[in-house]
Amino acid sequence: MLTIHLSIVVFLPLAAGLLGLFVPRAARFIGIAGAVAVLGYAIAMLLDFDSGGGLQYATDDIWIEELGIHWALAVDGLNLWLVALTAALWVPAAVVCWKRKWDRPQHVFFHLGLAETAVLGAFLAQDLAVFVVFFDVMLVPFYFLVGIWGEGRRVAATTKLMIYTLAGSLLMLVGAIALGVLSTPDGGEPSFLLSDLAERGLEEGTQQWIFLLFAIAFLVKAPAFPFHGWMPDAYRAMPIPILLVFSGVVSKVGVYGFLRIVLPTMPEASQHFQELLIVIAVISILYGSVLAFSQTEARLVVGYSSIAQLGFITLGIFSLDPKGAQGALMQMVNHGLVAAALFLIIAVLAQRAGSESLERMGGIALRAPVLAALFLIVTFATLAMPGSPNFVGEILILFGTFEDKLVYGLVASIGVVLAAVYMLRIFQGAMHNRVGATVDSRDLCRLDIGTIAPIVAIVVALGVYPQVILESTEKDTVSKIAAARAVAHPAPVPAALPPQPGAPQFQVQPGGPPVEGDPGAPPVEVQPGGPPVEVQPGSPPEEVPVP
Amino acid sequence: MSATTYGWLILAFPLAGMTVNALGWKLIGGRTAGWIATAAIFGSFLSALGALADMLDHHEEERIFTDALFTYAETAGFKAELGILVDPLSLFMCLVVSGVSTLIHLYSVAYLESDEGYSRYFAYLNYFVFSMLLLVLAGNLLILIIGWAFVGAASYLLISFWYRRNTATAAGTKAFVINVLGDVGLVIGAFLLFSETGALDWAGVFEGSRDAFTTNDGTLVAACLMILVGAFAKSAQLPLHTWLADAMEGPTPVSALIHAATMVTAGVYLIARTHPLFEQAPAAADVAAIVGTATLLFAASVALVVTDLKRIIAYSTISQIGYMVLGVAVFAYGAGLFHLMTHAFFKALLFMGAGSIIGAMGGIQSIDRMGGFRRAMPFTFVTFTIGALALSGFPLLSGFFSKDEILAFTLNRGGWYVVLAVLAYVAAGVTAFYSFRMVFRVFFGEPVPEARELEGGHIAHHDPANPMTGEPEDTDVGFPGPEHHIAEREWPMKVAMGTLAALAIVGGAVAVPGLTDTLEKFLEPTFHESRHIEEHPSDAAEYMGLAVGALIGITGIFVAYLLYIRRPGRTLALRERFRGVHDFLERKWYWDELIDAAFVRPARAAGNAGRTVVESVLVQGVIVGGATGAVRAATSLARTLQSGYLRAYVLLLFAGAGLLTLYFLIAAS
Repeated sequence: MLTIHLSIVVFLPLAAGLLGLFVPRAARFIGIAGAVAVLGYAIAMLLDFDSGGGLQYATDDIWIEELGIHWALAVDGLNLWLVALTAALWVPAAVVCWKRKWDRPQHVFFHLGLAETAVLGAFLAQDLAVFVVFFDVMLVPFYFLVGIWGEGRRVAATTKLMIYTLAGSLLMLVGAIALGVLSTPDGGEPSFLLSDLAERGLEEGTQQWIFLLFAIAFLVKAPAFPFHGWMPDAYRAMPIPILLVFSGVVSKVGVYGFLRIVLPTMPEASQHFQELLIVIAVISILYGSVLAFSQTEARLVVGYSSIAQLGFITLGIFSLDPKGAQGALMQMVNHGLVAAALFLIIAVLAQRAGSESLERMGGIALRAPVLAALFLIVTFATLAMPGSPNFVGEILILFGTFEDKLVYGLVASIGVVLAAVYMLRIFQGAMHNRVGATVDSRDLCRLDIGTIAPIVAIVVALGVYPQVILESTEKDTVSKIAAARAVAHPAPVPAALPPQPGAPQFQVQPGGPPVEGDPGAPPVEVQPGGPPVEVQPGSPPEEVPVP
Repeated sequence: MSATTYGWLILAFPLAGMTVNALGWKLIGGRTAGWIATAAIFGSFLSALGALADMLDHHEEERIFTDALFTYAETAGFKAELGILVDPLSLFMCLVVSGVSTLIHLYSVAYLESDEGYSRYFAYLNYFVFSMLLLVLAGNLLILIIGWAFVGAASYLLISFWYRRNTATAAGTKAFVINVLGDVGLVIGAFLLFSETGALDWAGVFEGSRDAFTTNDGTLVAACLMILVGAFAKSAQLPLHTWLADAMEGPTPVSALIHAATMVTAGVYLIARTHPLFEQAPAAADVAAIVGTATLLFAASVALVVTDLKRIIAYSTISQIGYMVLGVAVFAYGAGLFHLMTHAFFKALLFMGAGSIIGAMGGIQSIDRMGGFRRAMPFTFVTFTIGALALSGFPLLSGFFSKDEILAFTLNRGGWYVVLAVLAYVAAGVTAFYSFRMVFRVFFGEPVPEARELEGGHIAHHDPANPMTGEPEDTDVGFPGPEHHIAEREWPMKVAMGTLAALAIVGGAVAVPGLTDTLEKFLEPTFHESRHIEEHPSDAAEYMGLAVGALIGITGIFVAYLLYIRRPGRTLALRERFRGVHDFLERKWYWDELIDAAFVRPARAAGNAGRTVVESVLVQGVIVGGATGAVRAATSLARTLQSGYLRAYVLLLFAGAGLLTLYFLIAAS
C-alpha cells in the first residue's frame, strides 16, 4: 500500500493558492499544477485502494484535547470516488480559469485552491468537528468568487447564497456540538470522532431535533425543494469554471453528509424522518424536472435538473436500502461529471450564439460535429439512458426505493421520463433546428476539447464498466446505512452489517441471546467486556458464534 | 468457433463500423463510408450464419448457449453480467435483422449519396443495428434494457437526421420520449420480477417465477403489463403508437430499417422472449391480444385515408405489428415470428420502392400528386407490386402463409378469441385494399409531369421544401439533396430491392402447412417448455383459413381495382358522402390531440405555473410551511439587511455559535 499523507493532499491546493499570491505572474500555473498534483494523488489512490473497504491512509491526531476533537482524515469506499471526482473536476476548472480574463487572477486561483482544500477536507474528515470546519470554510471562497468576480446581479446573488447556506451552516454547527456533547457518556470524555459518535448513540428524541438541523443544512446545500431559493440567482452569477465545481462537487457534500454522518450517528431519527425526506426528494425530482423544461437560460436548465438529480440521490439514501445507497453514491459521481461537462459546453454554446439564452441558439451543430457528438453523449448520460453510468445509479436508486416504498418509487420514475424531455429540449434547442440569427457555428478549439473530452471519456468508460465504482464502494456504503436500516427492518438477525469502524457494532452478551433490533430501542448495545461478534449478512441466529 | 464467439462477433462488426465512420468522417470520402457500414452489417450476417452452423451441429436440447464478458454491475444482491444468450430465437432474430439490414445499408449507399451527412448517417445506421442486435442477444434483463434504450436513441438520431427541419427534430423528440416511457415500464417490470426471483438473467427469472408465482399472480401480471408498456412503446401499439407515423421524417431507408427489420419488431421479440411469464399470466397475454387486435384495426383504417405515401406504409406497419403481437399473445410464437420475418422482407421492399418513387417525384410524397409511373419505372413497379401483393396476402406469396398462420392459431383458441380472429380477417381485407390503393394511384392512370420527365430520361427536381409543411428549405437539408437517385439507375438499390422481392415471394416456404415446418422446428428449443406447444390447428383448418384469407385478400384488391381503375372518380364521391368518418380517420382517431391534452399540455402548464408562481414566491422568500420556517427567516433577513451588513451578520452568526458552544461545554461539565 502506498503511503499517502492525506493532510498533504488536503492542503496542497491551498498551498498552491497561497504561493500564487506571492508570485502573481506564475499564479495560474501554480494553481493548475496544484490541481494536477491532487489529481495525480487521487489516481494513485484509486489504483492502490484496497477494495475490501474500511478506512485507509488514515490520519488521526488529537487536535483539541479538551473538546475531544481529532484531526482525523481517512479514505474509504464512501469518499474514494468523491475525492477522485473533486480532483478530476478541479483541473478543468483551473484550466478554464487560466484562459479567462480576470481582475487579479492570483486571487481567483487562491480562492479556487482554498475551495478545493475545503471540499477535500469535508470529504475526508472522520471527525465531526473537522467536517464542520471544512464545510463552513467552503463558503468563504465562493463568497468572494461570486461577490467579486460574479456576473450580473452578483451582490444580490451573493447575499442570498450566503444567507441560505450560512443559516444551514449555523444550524449544523449547533447540531454538531449538541451531538458531540450530548452523546458523551456520564463521566466520559467528549469525542467528535465519527466512529465514537456512531457507537455512543443518543436517545431518539434528541436525535430527532439534531437530525433536522443537519438535514436542513444538507438540503440547502444540495439544493432540494423548497430550500433552493438561492440557486437561480447564484447560478446566474457564478462564472462558468466556478459553477462547474460548485454544481459538480460542492452540491454533493450535503448529500454525502447524510451518508457519512447522519445515518450512522442518528439511525432512529433517520428512520423516523425517512418518509419526510423521501417526500422532499420526490418533490424535488418532479419540481426540478418540470422547472427545467420551462427555463430559457441554458444554465438554469442544468441548475433545475440538478435539483431533480440531487432529489434522486436523496431518494436513494433514504430508501435505507443497500441498492439505493449504492445507486446514490454512484449518482453523485455521475452527476458531478455530467454537470461539469454541461457547464463547459454551455460556455462554448454561449460563445457561438452570443448568449446563454436558448431562444438565441439553434443549429449550432451545423459546423461543429465534435461539439455535437460530445454534447450528445453528455445529454444521453444526463437523462440516464441505459448504457450510461447514470442509468446504473438511477436503476439502483429506483430498485432500492421500490423495495419498501413502491409508490414513491413509481412517482419518482416519472422524473426519468421528464429528464428525457428537458435534456432533449436543451440539446435540440441549441444544436438543431434552424440556425439562430446570431449563431456563428464553429467547432471546438483544442482547449475546449482538452477539457470536455476527458470528462466525456470517463463517462463512457464508466458506462461500459460501472462495476469499478460499485465494487470498491459497496462495503463502506452499505455499512453506513446498516444501523438505520436495522431500525426500519428489525430483522431476526441482530445485524445485517459487516463490522466497520464508524458503524455501530452489535454485540452479544456472553452466553446471552443476540440482541434484537427493536424499533423503539437504540440498536447499539455497548456491553463492556463483550467482544464484538462478526455476523455475516443473512446468516440465521443459530450460526452466530457465541463466546 | 463456438456459437457464442460468433455471437460476440455479430455485435463487434457493427460496433466497429460505427466507430470507424464516426471517428473517420473527415478522412472517408465518396461512397466509402457506405461500403464500410454495409460490409460491417454483412459481417454480422455471416457471423450469424456461422453461429447457425455451429448450433445445428448440436443436438436439439443443447442449442442454448450463454456467455459473459465481465460483471457489469453487482452490488447488494443486484447482479447483471455483460452477457449474451444465443438460442434459436435470438439467432433467428439476428439473421433477420442483420440480413435485411445489410440490404437496407446497400440501398442507402446509393440513395443517400448526395447527402452532406453521409458518414454520420452510416455511423448512426450501424449504431442502430448494433443496438438491435444487442437487444436480441442480451443475456439478462439489464442488458436487454440497454439495447432497448440504445435502439430508441438510435432511432431518435435517425429520425431527426435532417436536424435543421423543425418537424424532424420534433418527431425525434416524440419518438424518444415515448420510448423512454417504455424503458421505464421495463425497469419497473424488471424490478417486480427481480424482487420475487432475485435474478435478472433469463434462466433465473423464468425458473424463479415458476416457483414464486401462481397462475395470474397479481405481481406477475403487473410485471407482464409493465413489460407490455415497453413492448407497446417500441412496437407502436395503441396508445403509444403516435411516434411512428411522425418517424417518417427520417430518410426513407431509415423508415425501412425502423419499420421492417428492427425497432418495431422488438416488442414482438420481447413477448416471445418472456413467453414463460406470459403463459403463467394469461391475463396479461389477453391484454396484449386485445391491444394487438385493436391496433391492427385502427391502423388499417387510418391507412385507408392517409395520402402521404410513406405514412400509408407506416400505418400499415403499425397494423402488421398488431398481427404479430396478436400471434405471440395467443402463444403462437412460431406464427408471430414467421410473420415478423416475412413482414421484414416485404415492408422493407415497399419502403425502398417508396424511396425510389419519391426520388422520381423530386421529393414530393403525396399520392395525390402521383400517377402513371408504370412505364417510367418498370423495375420499381414490379418490385413494389410484389411487396404489395405479399402484404395483401395474395396466394402463395410470403405474407399469405404467415398472416393466416396467426389467424388459424387465434381461431383455434376458440371462445372470444374467435372475435379477435374475425376482426383481424376484416382488417386483412382493408390491408389488401389500401396496398393496392397505393399501387393503382402511383403506377396507373395518366402519367404526371414527373413521370413524363422521367420517361424522357430526366429526374424531376423541385425547389427544396419540407414535405409536411411546404416550408422552403436549404438545398442541403433533407430530401432531395443536390442529386437523388432512383432504383432504375443505381445497381445497389436494384440489388437490394430485387433480393427482397425474391424473398417476399418465396419467404413463405419455411412454413407451409402440412408440407414444411422448418421454422417451427428450428425455434423449438427456445419454446419447448411452452404449455401451448402442442396446441396446433389441424392442417385442414389451416387450409380452410388459407382459402378464406386468399378470398379476402383478392376481394380487397378487386375493390381497389374497381374504385381506382374502373371508376376513378368514385372515391371522391364516397369521401363527400362519409365526410365525418373520413375526417375522423384522417385525424387518426384524434389520438395525438388526446395525448396532447392529457399529458403534454398539463406538463407544460405545470412548468409555467412553477416558474411564475412557485418560483417567484420562493425567490421573494415568502415560503409557507413549518419545515421551511428557518429559510423564510433567513430570506426575509436578506431583504432587510443591505449587502454591506453581510459581514456583520456573519460575525453575529459565529459569535452566536461560539456562545452556544460555550453553553454546551458548561452544560456537559
